[in-house]
Amino acid sequence: MSFVVRYLTGGFRSSERRLILLAALVLLPVFFLPVLPIWEMHLRAPQYPEGLKLTIYSNTIRGDLDKVNSLNHYVGMHAITPEDFAEFRYLPQLLTGFGFLALLAGLLNRRWIAALGWLLFTGFAVYMFRDYVLWLYRYGHELDPRAAITMKSFMPPVIGYSKMANFHVLSLPGPGTVVLGIAWLLGPLALWMERRAERAHAHAAAAATVAA
Amino acid sequence: MKRWMLAALAVAALVGGAALMQGCTKGIRGGGSAAAKTYVKPGEYDTYYAFLSGGHSGQVFVYGMPSCRYITTIPVFTPESAKGWGYDEESKAMLKGMNWGDAHHPGLSETDGDYDGRWLFINDMPHARIARIDLTDFTTKEIFGPIPNISAAHACPYPTPNTEYVFAASRFSIPLPYPTVDKVENYAKDFKGIIAGVKVSPEGHMSLGFEILMPPFDWDLADAGKGPSHGWEFFTCYNSEEAHDSLEIKASQNEMDYVAAVDWRAAQKAADAGEGTMIGGVKVLDPKVTKGIVYLVPVPKSPHGVDVDPSGQYICASGKLQAEVTVHSFAKLMAGIQAKKFEKEIEGIPVLAFNDVLEAKVPVGLGPLHTQFDGKGNAYTSLFLDSQIAKWKIGPPWNVTDKIDVYYSIGHLMVAGGDTRHPYGDYMVALDKLSKDRYLPVGPSHPEAAQLIDISGPKMELLYDFPTYPEPHYAQMIRADKLKPMKIYPLADNKNPYAIKSADQARVERHGKRVDAYLLAIRTHYTPDIVRVAQGDTVYFHVTNLEQDADITHGFGILFSNCDMQVEPGETKTMKWVAEKAGVTPFYCSNFCSALHQEMQGYIEVAPAGTRIASVSKPSREQLAQVAPLLRR
Repeated sequence: MSFVVRYLTGGFRSSERRLILLAALVLLPVFFLPVLPIWEMHLRAPQYPEGLKLTIYSNTIRGDLDKVNSLNHYVGMHAITPEDFAEFRYLPQLLTGFGFLALLAGLLNRRWIAALGWLLFTGFAVYMFRDYVLWLYRYGHELDPRAAITMKSFMPPVIGYSKMANFHVLSLPGPGTVVLGIAWLLGPLALWMERRAERAHAHAAAAATVAA
Repeated sequence: MKRWMLAALAVAALVGGAALMQGCTKGIRGGGSAAAKTYVKPGEYDTYYAFLSGGHSGQVFVYGMPSCRYITTIPVFTPESAKGWGYDEESKAMLKGMNWGDAHHPGLSETDGDYDGRWLFINDMPHARIARIDLTDFTTKEIFGPIPNISAAHACPYPTPNTEYVFAASRFSIPLPYPTVDKVENYAKDFKGIIAGVKVSPEGHMSLGFEILMPPFDWDLADAGKGPSHGWEFFTCYNSEEAHDSLEIKASQNEMDYVAAVDWRAAQKAADAGEGTMIGGVKVLDPKVTKGIVYLVPVPKSPHGVDVDPSGQYICASGKLQAEVTVHSFAKLMAGIQAKKFEKEIEGIPVLAFNDVLEAKVPVGLGPLHTQFDGKGNAYTSLFLDSQIAKWKIGPPWNVTDKIDVYYSIGHLMVAGGDTRHPYGDYMVALDKLSKDRYLPVGPSHPEAAQLIDISGPKMELLYDFPTYPEPHYAQMIRADKLKPMKIYPLADNKNPYAIKSADQARVERHGKRVDAYLLAIRTHYTPDIVRVAQGDTVYFHVTNLEQDADITHGFGILFSNCDMQVEPGETKTMKWVAEKAGVTPFYCSNFCSALHQEMQGYIEVAPAGTRIASVSKPSREQLAQVAPLLRR
């Protein structure tokens, strides 16, 4: 317990601080522009040998939307349009907000800000993942009963592969998520480095005592 | 056995196996079998596009080479229901009511004397028209003509090295302007030939640059100078006898006919200076008055083709009735002109002496028609009578080095890039006039024949023999990587004034007796799908295909009518239909588009004349609700 309190109230070692600033650097700029995909869905069917692709960014969804919507209307699925997602209007700001927290923690040299930011970030990630799963569920389940092709409601793959009608679908996190994951991992990494340094220090102190 | 020995054995087996496999593939690929050289695996692309003129079909045929697979037809001068060409208002306006054409000579646009892949020009001989096909979407974008005063544009279009000009010359001289009442016996006195230079703007737009009054010979074929001869266009002629009947005999009497050399820069300069007399609504330059624009060079015995070699130094013309190719030197031609060393004048055109210009005579064989080049110092001449192609060396000793049989009666031949400054030099296509017994018999109307020939080695090698639909004359072949055809028309770029891009714009609008029906087409419905009009209305259907998916063309065909058009993804087309009788007429998608293609239909409801109909009607809210999400773009 005393370690936790000591840890949280303290400042950073220079190596930790570098990690925190790195996290800030990663989070701050890249998510305002749709450059790093967060999630990617690849679809392939016999008549689409080149494949269709949907790419989700922090602020929009791109790719073969028109084509996918044209096909989905046969089974009565909602058309996918970026305007339907309120998430795209706050996600870039939130991600950048986390970047600011990391930057603040680094600049002010306050470990507790970093810890708080990391916890919020973790909660946020869990929430967004749940949100994504829910969207997929809705697309697969709220099918228009008057559609030309009656299909049993289904769950599109959140991650990994599945076959839906004549389509092979592969759903994978994109580079954006990898970057976010690395930023997130920097938290535990810092903690682990801290512990190791602490131990080494204690060891050295003990050795010094023995030597004395 | 020790472990290392096992490992060594395994490695040896692997290496041996790999070597064996490599041997096998070599056997298939490099073994030189003609089958392997033309085989393109399913799903793979050919390395060349070949554009074969469609002759009196009026179209252009696209083939993939070396597989010789027919890929598509580009409709040009003739209505073609398969692509809706000549059925929608825009293409109808381009065809101007003409229902046939005779397309002879495709000419790819060039930059610095090499194909640039922008456009393909092609002539319609009988109506003196030149079409420009855009190679980004393989459709005809412009039909220029009928060119005034030109009667049978056979020597056409043969673009210049930077596509500054395409040309046209009269094959059948007539009294000008057309039509003029005269006796054919007055041929030599009254009839005139014309050479026209048609300017091509950087955007490809064609306009008349100049016309030159020529003696009433039959102006036959053309080619553009290049390199040192850039700025000149060469034309052959027969019938310098000026015969007006029984040409077969009477036009074959003279020992010499001519190649006309036109200095198109000088001609344009004179035209720009306002020289010439008005004939048929345009100014025509008269060589009697305007000097220095055209010269005549004798060529024996009714020459057909004229072809300039890749270096631009040699002008090769073949007398049909002589067993030789006559090679003239451009440098000697220039020297003669500069020294004003002329034999005589014909209707104001200076004539050079044959021997002053001659570089060589190449004894190729019987019935030489056309010559092409491989860029490696060789020329290839088609021999109509011998049904052969002769390969000969450009330069001393000017001898024939190889011959190959073709089937049968070859007209043009085409080496890939063979009329450019840098021919590709690997393939040649023989375009034969007769197929006779080469393919499964299909009755008296035979297909034409073509052969693909490998010219990469010292000996010509026949690779493939394939039938063609009537009737390719000349062809062009360009490396596939030079073209980047679009797969769809981006909707965002659709600036058609009748385009609609969302469901709420779909409507039927009445303006007196004219009805404008704005329809959307997307898998698998039209919006609206019921169009209500009154008898006597003229209905313009403006159909926008909202698809942005490749190959999802929607047709729009109206039963019991002459109306069926094809609308490509992202495109808007307009078609006129007259409601002649009251009653119900179905329309449907005539191009299979998807799983529910059969359901893609609608009705035109024609009320008896005088019935009051709303001035604007829109699809029902219920129908809109169904399609609205799909139409949100």
